[in-house]
Amino acid sequence: MKYLLPLSILLGLTLSSCSETNTTDALAAHQSAQATIAGNTELSEMSLYNLESEWQNEDDETVKLVQLNGKVQLVAMMYTNCTYACPRIVADLKRIEAKLDNYKKEDVGIVLVTMDPENDTPEKLQQFATDNNLDPDRWTLLTSDEMNIQELAVLLNMKYKNGGKGEIAHSNIITVLNAGGEIIHQQEGLGKDPDETVKTIDGLLRSI
Amino acid sequence: MMLHRLLLFVLLVGVCGNVQAQKSLPKNMVNVKGGTFVPLYGNDSIPVKVKTFLMDVYPVTNTEYLAFVNKYPKWRKSAVKKIFADESYLKNWTADLNIGPNAAKIQNSPVVNVSWFSAKAYCECQGKRLATVEEWEYAALASETKANAANDDKFYQRSIEWYSKPNPTYLPPVKESFRNYYGLHGMIGLVWEWTQNFNSAMVVGESRADVTMDRQLFCGSGSDGAKDVKNYVAFMRYAFRSSLKANYTVANLGFRCAKSI
Repeated sequence: MKYLLPLSILLGLTLSSCSETNTTDALAAHQSAQATIAGNTELSEMSLYNLESEWQNEDDETVKLVQLNGKVQLVAMMYTNCTYACPRIVADLKRIEAKLDNYKKEDVGIVLVTMDPENDTPEKLQQFATDNNLDPDRWTLLTSDEMNIQELAVLLNMKYKNGGKGEIAHSNIITVLNAGGEIIHQQEGLGKDPDETVKTIDGLLRSI
Repeated sequence: MMLHRLLLFVLLVGVCGNVQAQKSLPKNMVNVKGGTFVPLYGNDSIPVKVKTFLMDVYPVTNTEYLAFVNKYPKWRKSAVKKIFADESYLKNWTADLNIGPNAAKIQNSPVVNVSWFSAKAYCECQGKRLATVEEWEYAALASETKANAANDDKFYQRSIEWYSKPNPTYLPPVKESFRNYYGLHGMIGLVWEWTQNFNSAMVVGESRADVTMDRQLFCGSGSDGAKDVKNYVAFMRYAFRSSLKANYTVANLGFRCAKSI
């Protein structure tokens, strides 16, 4: 399996960003289908959903980020072996979730992206979701190959460094995306008062 | 008959020789022999191991980048999405496929005003990748004569002088730039360069909070985490990288590609 990883990364690379043929057409078709749901016509230039990479969710389905379109999404990065910060960032997300009781699950989603794709297989992510009682209607857990994760991380202003030995130094950021995938707000640090984030989400949902 | 055999032999050797050469060293790349070094970030002084890798001899030039956008329209000035490259992307180019009025002067100079995303795409389209910070810094330790010139005061002094010079109006052609031990040109004294994991330097004042990194990174105690403050040029590079976002394009920031072996 370890030996397959570089190959899959290589394939992923060639597929994702260096196709001469216009993969954007297929994507555009997909996007417009999604956008109809969202009620918009087109993704803005600053939408994270412009990333064309492929991801696996906790059910081992292959998804594109654009499929998150149409909902307000809270996004954070973590890894399941993380003992200190990640449980706290999940706790912070749950605190925000608890304040969103008024809203339907179709309106707000929460996305956890792993920083440790080598270890965090879809099965591990599924287990993590179960262990932490994450409501599958609300939460999505994603993994992909290292380069795709890095691309998303830079867009989320996340800095992280895999020090090996299962330890990853990383910043802790909860990002609020609007229904079109643009970054509207970021809550940085752990154990922060979620009020501002919740207010931002409230504002976005009222305007939908 | 003898002659025929000899000819065949020469042909075979010729063919195989070519294949061999291509396999071991793609055009305009050199082998950077692996080793260990202590990078300038974090509080730990643990040496980092760098595996032997291939690196482009020169930073990517305007002409080369023009060929790339010609082939991949998605990366042309008018087409690129703002999330992948900000508004100063290829600022001095006058059109999608036009380097600008000074083309004659800068066609073989490094392309600048490119984003991390565009640099990354360029390398991937050549079957390469951006170098990691570790690989780049490791290769940049070299002077003309030594693989590791970290303790060479004269080399260090010269590097500082290079960095303290203002940018010239026209960047010089890549071939005219400083050539180091590995045969790499312009690792110092030409342009800053994008690296694959530019966002990985965790030089922060208070690592537990890791908050508002943009502001805290190099203020106050930020530099306390740095390993070898004597190497001020490396420190500047780490600071500069930390200040970047992936869609930023800067007037003296270019790139070159690398490849694993």
